[in-house]
Amino acid sequence: MDTREAALVGIGRTPFSMSSGRTPLAMAAEAARAALRDAGLQPDEVDGVIDFHTNDSAPAADVARAIGAFDLGLAMDVHGGGNIAVTVVGQAFAAVQAGVCEVAVVFRSLQGRSGNRYGRGERPALPMRGEMQFAALNGFVVPPMWIAMFAQRHKHVYGTRDEDFGQIAITTRKHAAANPHAMQRQVIDMDDYLSARWICEPFRLYDCCLETDGAVALVVTTLERARSLRHAPIRIVGFGEAHTHGGSWTNFPDLSEMYSAYASKRLWASTGLRPADMDVACMYDCFTGTVMATVEDFGLCPKGEVGAFFREGRATYGGDVVVNPHGGLLSEGYLHGLNHHYEAVLQLRGDAGGRQVPDARHALVTAGAGPAGGALIYEASR
Amino acid sequence: MNRAGPNPVPPAPLIDTDSAGFWEATRHGRIVLCRCSDCGVWLARPLELCNRCEGPTSFTDVTGSGTIYSFIVVHHGSVPAFAAFVPYVLALVEFDEGPRLPGILLDEYGPGVAIGQRVQAELAQFTETELRAVVYRRIDDGEQPAVADA
Repeated sequence: MDTREAALVGIGRTPFSMSSGRTPLAMAAEAARAALRDAGLQPDEVDGVIDFHTNDSAPAADVARAIGAFDLGLAMDVHGGGNIAVTVVGQAFAAVQAGVCEVAVVFRSLQGRSGNRYGRGERPALPMRGEMQFAALNGFVVPPMWIAMFAQRHKHVYGTRDEDFGQIAITTRKHAAANPHAMQRQVIDMDDYLSARWICEPFRLYDCCLETDGAVALVVTTLERARSLRHAPIRIVGFGEAHTHGGSWTNFPDLSEMYSAYASKRLWASTGLRPADMDVACMYDCFTGTVMATVEDFGLCPKGEVGAFFREGRATYGGDVVVNPHGGLLSEGYLHGLNHHYEAVLQLRGDAGGRQVPDARHALVTAGAGPAGGALIYEASR
Repeated sequence: MNRAGPNPVPPAPLIDTDSAGFWEATRHGRIVLCRCSDCGVWLARPLELCNRCEGPTSFTDVTGSGTIYSFIVVHHGSVPAFAAFVPYVLALVEFDEGPRLPGILLDEYGPGVAIGQRVQAELAQFTETELRAVVYRRIDDGEQPAVADA
């Protein structure tokens, strides 16, 4: 099979809500149809579907059936969390490049609020095997606990203050205020942040993202075909993942950093671009602490200096790079990171309306927290 | 942390052939971790064979002494089995042998707890099952790191 270039050509999504009243299958189908319409492709042209899930979604082949695509050359359901939100896009590009399929849909669909809530311990998102069996009986089973353990270590090593976490939450919410699709648009200040209730120290309420119902879908096809479709194609010009230390949340060597300390090396080695070339950074933000570690690890600012980076306005409009212009998982909604890709595409097309980052040409998108995840760089065609 | 009366139970660990020795030991009041019988490395998670030298492994008693590597103070009762006890402290403890295990730090609710403090592990029965959890208690070794200023 000849290798060919691939491009992202379509984006689609459902409304984000706390109670969709709809199945993950129905939401995935809506998002997939929307993404195909956006691209200018027909549903029956789809011959590849890739999604990720934690036993809370609909299978790839069934979503294809729901939109009228009955014969796939690729159907891949990847079990995993936010760490997979770059993997699935990378694999869709690779599959198209290798000729495994021609038109690939990538989706994430979940009843994250009305169905199985990751923040609740009754039915944990991860099975209690492997490392988790040693956490189960102590109830160390929900993501805010795992990431807070990292954040505490960041405080210890770098003297990070509560206000540094607060600046990330405040900046993100301010961005969301200009995003009609965001679940939470009410701006907050430092008093609001500090006076909100504790969830698990060092995390307060606004350090935690929003469990959400909804779906996001992306369409990938060949670059050659992309040139005749509705929008200018978006290419990937940098890529790096790191799935480290067997996925251990507790025995990852240094909890003041994350997978990003490893993926960063692969990412920047794969491209001629540098952190300073990024116009937009859609940083995976299940918690503020995740942004804290990964912004540093990916080199947007020196290690330990993320507090000043946000405080001095370098992470917003007029600064170095606009971090999460859509409001991220913290304020737009927890679509498990696939909404970060949607936002990156809007920004690179110049279609982000009142929150448009001027002349956005390169967008960094990251996925994951703790021991595993990845990042890619999208480039606009202008 | 004492219990009285029926309570919601924590999630059950999914025990397998590789980890059964750990849980069997807890029934006899012992805390053991997986260790390579050839090269002596301690493995944080049980493996049939050593991931360094491919040697056979066995479950070996640890001293139970360790240091707080990180900790959180749980205020929101996300896990029903422990919702009645908030606020409580979950510590990630680095055993002197190397591996880290998370566990509740008994009789603490936040103030005075700091990274670097020494603890002793013990076993606690939180549920009606026979399984016992590894938990910790702070020990006073006279050289406890001070709590950082607020």
